[in-house]
Amino acid sequence: MKRSLFGRLWPNVTAVVLFAGFVFPVYWMFSTALKPTGDIISENPVWFPTNITFEHFKRATSVDNFWTYVGNSLIVTLCAVGLSLIVALAGSFALARMRFKGRRGFIIGFMLAQMAPWEVMIIAIYMIVRDASMLNSLVPLTAFYMMMILPFTILTLRGFVAAVPRELEESAMVDGCSRSQAFRKVILPLLAPGLMSTSLFGFITAWNEFPLVLVLNKEAEAQTLPLWLSSFQTAFGNDWGATMAASSLFAVPILILFVFLQRRAVSGLTAGAVKG
Amino acid sequence: MKRKLISAIGVAGMMISLAACGGDNGDGGGKAGADGYAGQTLTVWVMDGSSPDQWQKDVAAAFEKKTKAKVKFQVQQWNGIQQKLTTALSEDNPPDVFEIGNTQTPAYAKTGGLADLGDLKTEIGGEWTSSLNESSIFEGKQYAAPWYFANRVVLYNKKIWADAGIKDTPKTRDEFYADLKQIGDKTDAEPLYLPGQNWYHFVGLTIGEGVQLVKQQDGKYVSNLADPKVASAMQTYKKFQALSKAPKDKDEATPQQAEVFGKGNVGAFIGMGWEAGIAIKANPKIEKEIGYFTIPGATADKPEGVFLGGSNLSVAAGSKKQALAKEFLRIALSDKYEGELAKINGVIPNKESLQSNLQGNAVAEAAAPAAAGGGTTPLIPEWAAVENAPNPVKTYMTAVLNGKSPAAAAKQVEAELNKRLAQQQ
Amino acid sequence: MTVQIERPPSGPVGVANKHRRGSAGAGPRGASRARGLVPYLLLLPACAVTVLLLGWPLVKDVLLSFQNLNMAQLIQRVTEWNGIDNYTQVLTGADFWRVTLRSILFTAVNVVVIMVIGTLVGLLLARLGKRMRFTLMIGLVLAWAMPVVAASTVYQWLFAQRFGVVNWVLAKLGWESMADYSWTSSQMSTFFVVTLLIVWMSIPFVAINLYAATTTIPAELYEAAALDGAGGWKSFTTVTLPFLRPFLYATTFLEIIWVFKAFVQVFTINGGGPDRLTEILPVYAYIEGVGNQHYGMGAAIAVLTILIMLGLTAYYLRIVLKQEEDEL
Repeated sequence: MKRSLFGRLWPNVTAVVLFAGFVFPVYWMFSTALKPTGDIISENPVWFPTNITFEHFKRATSVDNFWTYVGNSLIVTLCAVGLSLIVALAGSFALARMRFKGRRGFIIGFMLAQMAPWEVMIIAIYMIVRDASMLNSLVPLTAFYMMMILPFTILTLRGFVAAVPRELEESAMVDGCSRSQAFRKVILPLLAPGLMSTSLFGFITAWNEFPLVLVLNKEAEAQTLPLWLSSFQTAFGNDWGATMAASSLFAVPILILFVFLQRRAVSGLTAGAVKG
Repeated sequence: MKRKLISAIGVAGMMISLAACGGDNGDGGGKAGADGYAGQTLTVWVMDGSSPDQWQKDVAAAFEKKTKAKVKFQVQQWNGIQQKLTTALSEDNPPDVFEIGNTQTPAYAKTGGLADLGDLKTEIGGEWTSSLNESSIFEGKQYAAPWYFANRVVLYNKKIWADAGIKDTPKTRDEFYADLKQIGDKTDAEPLYLPGQNWYHFVGLTIGEGVQLVKQQDGKYVSNLADPKVASAMQTYKKFQALSKAPKDKDEATPQQAEVFGKGNVGAFIGMGWEAGIAIKANPKIEKEIGYFTIPGATADKPEGVFLGGSNLSVAAGSKKQALAKEFLRIALSDKYEGELAKINGVIPNKESLQSNLQGNAVAEAAAPAAAGGGTTPLIPEWAAVENAPNPVKTYMTAVLNGKSPAAAAKQVEAELNKRLAQQQ
Repeated sequence: MTVQIERPPSGPVGVANKHRRGSAGAGPRGASRARGLVPYLLLLPACAVTVLLLGWPLVKDVLLSFQNLNMAQLIQRVTEWNGIDNYTQVLTGADFWRVTLRSILFTAVNVVVIMVIGTLVGLLLARLGKRMRFTLMIGLVLAWAMPVVAASTVYQWLFAQRFGVVNWVLAKLGWESMADYSWTSSQMSTFFVVTLLIVWMSIPFVAINLYAATTTIPAELYEAAALDGAGGWKSFTTVTLPFLRPFLYATTFLEIIWVFKAFVQVFTINGGGPDRLTEILPVYAYIEGVGNQHYGMGAAIAVLTILIMLGLTAYYLRIVLKQEEDEL
């Protein structure tokens, strides 16, 4: 079947328009961050930064405690993701591979847990943490971030585990592996892409969170990057150069992770999404 | 792949144990030992811009010398301060001493979160100006110490005014308007930076009209925004706001108006005298261009009404360092440092006798003529809830600026304002 | 694998037999019972964590919703029960119902737009040549990966009243009045920006997912449909759509949850303003509870929000329930 010229052209044209639409905000963020202030506040937008400056980045990172925020964000995010992967792996294996009474109940339970609107429970969480004298610490923050991403991690990993052919595991066991050996030697390597893609989403959630850390940690020593970014609007006012530089810095780790893991993430999601 | 993952998990585990170690290092009880209060640290919250670096440094040095303890100043933003303060006061380690706005003090006094400073008042507060001390007293008890007071002035860029050919500062509201117009016509500067929600200035205008934002009805406080005098104050605001390109739905802190002014292309703004410091920090070259004058009123003999803003210092009832906190207040409010604050910032000190510090201070000289006609929002516990975002008074202002009639705007926010005034405590 | 047969004897009957190696259960009784515990043991950490970190705050929240909890009570840590006062006050006021309706409409509009455009983009991806597909993928992935806090900040800049690039473009295109337009000044324009932001961030997830799903459709199905004389549209409705249905259900479910909870986007763009006209339920709960320091009231709104959310997703949860039943 031969398509007409129009038929061949319109998908490409649409794709180009869509590409521009999706990329522009990201491009504008980086380009604003690199432009001198005069080019930012100009009656006619400067579309391409010609006089590149790093002054805004300097301003954004010279905020007190910047590196503390970076460190805290990394610690909290990595710990939350790591812990939730470990906890979820065990659970998702049971859900995907075993039959037992109440299995359905567990699945529905995790789906419900996934819906939890954390922002509205902030005061309850605050009071629990306060009464436990754990404010201004990274521990409760890590714990709650882990919980925020746990249901999604379990449900997605369950899809990945289910996608690993049973036969592989069985043949490993025929070869004399115990079940736990079979799990470690056969399933785990096959699960690697799945683990990466799920951890990516966990990473994004934990990296982004700010309402909770805002109430729990008043001390700068225990605050994270989202607070630094959201406080920028007040501190730097309409200094869009610095604000965009801060946004860029905040977004870059995620963008890099995403570009690296994109392919795996996508194939993984497909496996995961069938099961919801 | 597998090895990488495992090592990643290992790293994660290590970090957890690190995080677990990084707990807080409490600094023990509040009693003075043989070594004074050595090793202790007092946490003090001050609002953004209210106390200059030099003052903080001097007070900290004097405090350390006397008590051997350290003081840690933490600068807070006005936006969202009540939410932060309320939760902080409920915690195990609240800020020991904190600055609190005079209109917000009664509400916090009522919560039981503020320590009784009755003895301190007897000891050092004999000369405190009673009108300035009013907000600190709730049901007969002293819950805060008056710190400083200030009213807004016009800060202007001398160069721009000169460029527009204006020789003298205006004495009446109409002259002020005409001057700003002239700046708009003759220069390419923005004549006035006035965001739509500089509500303290608006409160000042209503005080100038001789009217309050709320009134008492059947023993309850309710909205008085529908009063024609409020409407005429709002009309004045609107007329001047029209000269500004500032956003109609933002207040003076987002962005900081002084930073906008500091860029050098704004003729004037209405703000606290110390905001000049923020402008100079943003752009040191602006320092020699900044001038101040009293906000002109309808007639030359009576300046514009102003909101008499002020801050008190309070001690958290939950602080474990009550004695040390009082030591801090003794030093910070001593004639020496209270005087220094007045001198640097041009604010009104808490005692008449310290007013001499204001002599020759350009800010204070611009502020003083209006202070006599200044006022505040009602000093009632119910008021604090009104200031929580989204503040209905700000909503009212933006609505009028966007073209609603004052009456319709008043009607629009009335329910919300009344709800907040009636809010269960 | 073979765990299914080691179910405790009380489990549903008739399932185990269809699996192979059914004889593995014939071991000693004690061992079999111990093995029956394995799945529960594996799930134990996840459940313990969930009960502790989600269940506890939920219970706490319900308890708080029956309390008169304001500044004074919070600061002095006193508990004042006030029965169902908070609920009667919320449910009898007009605000709550208005916000609820707004939330549902907001969610519906966003999810429909996201799903329709997302699906179309997904199908487009399947149709594109290799190079073009890669290009569009990059664009989608960049938008997808933008952290929400950064994205909201960028959108504020794009739509800034002064020097915002959107206003400039609109003015150049002939809408002179848009040159100095404040997008946060009205309810609809604020919602427009928020919706654009959410749609922009969410489409990539749907599109890439859908595209990935289409690649797994066996070609034989299309061949069979073509043999039956099905045209392009017919084969789409008889092959593509049925195949994609589970993906569409699952993604719609996720999108409903995500949009309904879109606190950060709404809150950062305009704080629920102007005049509280763009508050959706989570924002309303936050502003009444935390912002207005009426914590008990906020807790009550939170409980109601959770119930409404359960209602909205009940349909999907029922499908999952049935689906899992069929699998067993």
